Amino acid sequence: MRNDMNDLAKNIRKVALGLLSLLVILLFYLTYIQVVQSDFLIAHSLNRRTLEAFRMIPRGMILDKSGEKLAYSKKVGDSFKREYPYGSIAAQVVGYDSITYGRSGIESTFNRDLTGNNTSIAHLGAVSHLLTNRSGNNVVLTLDAAVQETAYKALGNHKGAIVAINPSTGAILAMVSKPSFDPNEIDQQWKRISTDKNSPLLNRVTQGLYPPGSTLKVMIAEAARREKVIDLKEKIYCEAALKIPPDYVLQESHLEAYGNINLEEALAVSSNVFFGTLSLKLGYKKMENTFDRFGFKRSVGQELQEVASHLPDFSSLGDGDLAQTGIGQGSLLVTPLRMAMLASSFANEGKIMRPYLVDKITDLDGSLIKTFAPAEWLTPTTPQLAGEINKMMVRVVRDGTGTAASLPGVLVAGKTGTAENAQGDSHAWFIGFAPADNPQIAIAVIVENSGFGGSIAAPMARQVFKAALQ
Amino acid sequence: MINRRQLERNLLMVAGIIMLNGILAVNLAHGVLNYQTLGAVTFIFAGFMAANIVLCKVGHTGDPLFLPLASLLVGIGLIIILRLKPELFMLQVMWVGVGLVAFLISAILAKRLEQIAYFKYICGFIGVGLLLSAILFGVDIGGNKNWIIMGPVRFQPSEFAKIFIVLFLAAYLSERRELLTLATKHYGPFVLPHPRFIAPLIAVWSLGMLMFVLQRDMGAALLYFGLAIIMTYMVSGRSSYVIIGMIAFLVGSVICYHLYSHIQLRVDIWLNPWSDPSGGAYQIVQSLFALGSGGIMGSGLTYGFPTMIPEVHTDFIFAAIGEEMGLIGAGAVILLYILMIYRAFRTSLLSLMPFSMMVAAGLAVSMALQTFLIIAGVIKFFPLTGITLPFISYGGSSIVSNFILLGMLFSISEVRGYDAK
Repeated sequence: MRNDMNDLAKNIRKVALGLLSLLVILLFYLTYIQVVQSDFLIAHSLNRRTLEAFRMIPRGMILDKSGEKLAYSKKVGDSFKREYPYGSIAAQVVGYDSITYGRSGIESTFNRDLTGNNTSIAHLGAVSHLLTNRSGNNVVLTLDAAVQETAYKALGNHKGAIVAINPSTGAILAMVSKPSFDPNEIDQQWKRISTDKNSPLLNRVTQGLYPPGSTLKVMIAEAARREKVIDLKEKIYCEAALKIPPDYVLQESHLEAYGNINLEEALAVSSNVFFGTLSLKLGYKKMENTFDRFGFKRSVGQELQEVASHLPDFSSLGDGDLAQTGIGQGSLLVTPLRMAMLASSFANEGKIMRPYLVDKITDLDGSLIKTFAPAEWLTPTTPQLAGEINKMMVRVVRDGTGTAASLPGVLVAGKTGTAENAQGDSHAWFIGFAPADNPQIAIAVIVENSGFGGSIAAPMARQVFKAALQ
Repeated sequence: MINRRQLERNLLMVAGIIMLNGILAVNLAHGVLNYQTLGAVTFIFAGFMAANIVLCKVGHTGDPLFLPLASLLVGIGLIIILRLKPELFMLQVMWVGVGLVAFLISAILAKRLEQIAYFKYICGFIGVGLLLSAILFGVDIGGNKNWIIMGPVRFQPSEFAKIFIVLFLAAYLSERRELLTLATKHYGPFVLPHPRFIAPLIAVWSLGMLMFVLQRDMGAALLYFGLAIIMTYMVSGRSSYVIIGMIAFLVGSVICYHLYSHIQLRVDIWLNPWSDPSGGAYQIVQSLFALGSGGIMGSGLTYGFPTMIPEVHTDFIFAAIGEEMGLIGAGAVILLYILMIYRAFRTSLLSLMPFSMMVAAGLAVSMALQTFLIIAGVIKFFPLTGITLPFISYGGSSIVSNFILLGMLFSISEVRGYDAK
């Protein structure tokens, strides 16, 4: 009997050990789930917790440079509704914030700040509630709501984009893309907005790729001067067309023969023959080098979500294609932002500032949390060369193709473009800055499929200059 | 042995402070002090203290850890129920009160445990009858088809059946342990006693399978099945029983997997919940989100979102603890169970009669299996089974039956003290 009891005890001991081990294994597995898998589970797109936590506090406001509300949260019952007072005017920049359809624009890129940046202390448990913000932080943009509105209205019913930057800081003053949408209506109108073949959700300033056309000639002029393939006084005889062996013919847009003209005159009339010739003189290596110098191969940073420019494969370009590239045609495609930055380099003594959209982050009471200082991005050219091109661009607006951009009492510099494209009528372009002797604003205007830059885009730029310089 | 009760009283006070703290935290998070809830936990605390005094008065020398461990688990359960379903809080308080009375009755009555051995077949019939009643007349409430409704009373018979089944198996097996040890028949590599000695085991096994198939109650099936096999192993010491039992269960499961789509679904969900996270696997995926979001420290009481999990206050209450109290809280709960189950096995090993050894060990096994199955299901370690978490999940049947079970363990733990004197 005693022996038998010992056997029973021995077996029970084994069972106890086995079952208690199972529970200890559970403890290890629980640790695995709650510690190792934690980040994956928190970040999982189907986990609505983060979203719900954010909905319990008001999202921060998005403000323009002078405090004008571009987006704010209004309390409706238990939750908050996002309001966009400027509606479609700044839709692509500011973006939308929808439970169902996610976020775009600043609402997306600065979501962490707008939600109060509370995620980093979530791991502190109950203690974290003492440290979390009771509201999101405000994002103050560099945008000037008045200039933005003027640019939006200037574009009228055209498709296209206008971007204005402060050349000495890189601060973006206006960023308009058309057609647009009303972010207040994103949930109700999602189907129509998202399937519209004109892509209203697309921010054409940073995501639209266009051939730059003749606006690129300012850069070729700089390259020709820098590489000393032409003197300021030197004249080239321009016929109505340039024959490029073996079988390419580069024509002037109105087939006029300009005769003997120098660089400044050629830019003022936007001579294709002249700049085609310069491109051939430069050769593909120096041409490629120029695009590189002006940053066309580099990203301006994550914040603006800009798409990369499309450059031709220079080493395999024939002479005809090289000349085409020199007048901004061929396979070359760039964003409007790039062209505004190109203009700004001649306005800012040869320096390009990194373009930026967010000036600072403030808390609910307006106290500063973080500022974004202007930063130099590239120095593609010298102050001296920039000054030369600046002068030539003033001439374009004074008595060249860009006269429609001129403002009384203000020295305006610019360059027009009429870019041929596969989609239909030419795109109208204007890039420039004002005042040329003390630049406050650099601009790029593109109006899709609407004709001549000088007659369509230049007057729009004029309106924006006027609004910005008031 | 008065210091055992004194130790118990001190530990009960610690558990009471923890419970009061949690209830206050939930109250304050809502910005108002609800005196009703504070009164209720005071009542529960007083109930445990009163139980301590009664045990003191009758000179009971049972294990001083059982009651404090139960009161801590009950406290955590009440805190989380107040946070999840405040409307069920007072009902749960009432059930804990009833459970305490049941504990005392059971602790005192079970002193005459040996007499129950004479009524083993009655116990067996009651146990089987309770299970069968659930199978035959079971009503589906909240996804589990194991409720019996008799007029105003509704309960889950399977919660109580386990006690009777343990009593029956313990009595039956301890009487026949020589026969089982000296197995007579050889089947290939396996040695088995004559079939007529293990007929009742086969009956329990079949019952388990029946529950599995008819009630979709995989948890209860596994519980009873595991109980029968492990208790047989304990008296016989033959692992062949365990192996044969596991093979039988595996074969049965594979057949069921192919025959029944709902079982297939459950297993598939377990194997890969991320293939259908918004459909069939919704509940388990939400449970994992809750646990993962809780992390080590938890979100803090009332600051998480455990209500995103359907049925969170019964089957998934552990996930809610994991989210709001973190790994620290959920791990502590597992440790409390480990401690309680350890003391139960210790009770068994210190007991002097084979029958009471078997009863205590059987009750420990049932508690361990039940805790393992439900927690493992919630954290996706094992396919999900719809059984309750002892002392924590909401529900009268679960609370009362576990207090009765604890009372029996408590009573058995005394015998040794009595003999040692």
